[in-house]
Amino acid sequence: MSDTKKKWFSLNLNNTKKRTSSSCGCGKTEGGCGSHNTQNPIKKPKDGYQQVFDVKMDRRSAFKQLTASLAIGAGAVSTSCSMIAGEETKEKAQIDWEEQFKGNYKLMTDQEKNDTVNRLVRSYQLRTGKSINMSSKNAEEDVLFGYAFNISKCQGYMDCVTACVEENNQDRNSQMQYIRIHEMKDGQGFNFNEADDNYYHEVPAEGHFYMGTQCFHCDNPPCVEVCPVQATWREEDGLVVIDYDWCVGCRYCMAACPYDGRRFNWSTPEVPEEEVNKNQHYLGNRMRKKGVMEKCTFCVQRSRSGQNPACVEACPTGARIFGNLLDPDSTIRWVLENKKVFRLKEDLGTEPKFWYFMD
Amino acid sequence: MNMYRNIKKIGFSFLLAFLFLSCKNEDHGYHSVMDKIEGEGKSYKGVSVSSESYIDHIKTMEITTGEHTFLIPERKSKIKSYKCTECHAKPLKETQLTGSAKKAHWDIGIVHADKNTMNCISCHNGDVMDELKSLTGNPIDFNNSYILCSQCHTKQFKDWEGGAHGKRIGGWAPPRAALTCVNCHNPHDPHIASKWPVRYNSVKAEERK
Repeated sequence: MSDTKKKWFSLNLNNTKKRTSSSCGCGKTEGGCGSHNTQNPIKKPKDGYQQVFDVKMDRRSAFKQLTASLAIGAGAVSTSCSMIAGEETKEKAQIDWEEQFKGNYKLMTDQEKNDTVNRLVRSYQLRTGKSINMSSKNAEEDVLFGYAFNISKCQGYMDCVTACVEENNQDRNSQMQYIRIHEMKDGQGFNFNEADDNYYHEVPAEGHFYMGTQCFHCDNPPCVEVCPVQATWREEDGLVVIDYDWCVGCRYCMAACPYDGRRFNWSTPEVPEEEVNKNQHYLGNRMRKKGVMEKCTFCVQRSRSGQNPACVEACPTGARIFGNLLDPDSTIRWVLENKKVFRLKEDLGTEPKFWYFMD
Repeated sequence: MNMYRNIKKIGFSFLLAFLFLSCKNEDHGYHSVMDKIEGEGKSYKGVSVSSESYIDHIKTMEITTGEHTFLIPERKSKIKSYKCTECHAKPLKETQLTGSAKKAHWDIGIVHADKNTMNCISCHNGDVMDELKSLTGNPIDFNNSYILCSQCHTKQFKDWEGGAHGKRIGGWAPPRAALTCVNCHNPHDPHIASKWPVRYNSVKAEERK
């Protein structure tokens, strides 16, 4: 794949021809039909610094990058060379320096992933004096995560929302929530204009049903398509994730998502120290910063180690079913094969891996 | 004439290219996620993660029902007054009280079907108090009470076997463990009462004013 080899992103604004490599009639980019050159020259992946520096760019953006980096660099150099600054300050400056010039997580080797996670853990320790546990666990082989939601079982208790907020360290000030539970009137179908997603009365209310939405982890995600910096992508196990350190906060993805699955940090997210979930993943619930996107990751920190996402575990009704779509014996597969399932806005071709069904 | 043929040829090759290239996912060539599941699931070899450690604080037992084998929580050790024969040494008929004496289990009210359909001995075995019984009088162990429920609630039972009804515990990874009927539904009063949602988003409410 030429796309994954590319270490930078160019907008190609006037370039209508999108994929040059699939010029062959077989539609594949390599192998298969025999008319492809099988001996692709294997390019050596560039490491973090080169991802930033070894890039063709115009003079203006080059200057911009240089001045931004110089400002940080100057700060780092002045503290690290200073006679009066303590060891910790120097270490902090060193970490900031290396974090500033690290590459896109998607392109990192396992070693680089491990290094950045270690830096972030150490940085948190230096800043707060508390230690956290952060993982960079990759996608498991033979796993494709999928989700099913029983709309006749959901009673609108919102236990899932609470569990999600606590698990994923979402901003308490703006009361950010990945999950929305919509209270809908019976007999009107999925009418989101009439639905209420912020009710507060005894549930289930007479004549209403409840359905939840969150990121559907589309297999053909439009949010990934529009990201100008490739800060969001689909992992091998189907999770659509964000590198919070690569995101520039343009919110294109938010506009592109037809399901209202993405959230933006308008302010620095705040979580009281004692409530911070310290079991974290780089792509999941680690602390975000102001001006970046975030969303449901199917609790990557939990799901990649075999656990269910927090919402599934918290749901008292069993309306939420999660599992491995590739495992023929999994319960999610049984639901897909034996219940009448459907997805939201299926006609868009986004292929969400989130199915709804009824008893 | 020749030009027409050429145009036809070019048009045809465009059509061919379009047919090959259109609506294909760029990386795998699957048309839809269902095709992908089918295609990639063929070579499924199992996963390295397990959810065993997440359920080791619960005493479970393995059951096989229909085509499904999975774990459910063991029940008898959770029933405070089990074994029943510790009090009910004799069959129920011989111990029944008459008159105004205070009944044992006075706190249990049956809100399950109507009185015409069900009473205590529809499920409890009056002769062997440590066991439940089926509608035809066959014994059912307290641990396997789902068999009792399945006699009437066939639809729910089928969904529960497959995993569409009820609650999975531990994680998504094998081994599969699920709660059994009586872990959520009180068998004497199976309806789940309404309650208040656990949270309200005051910021959202403020923004929408």
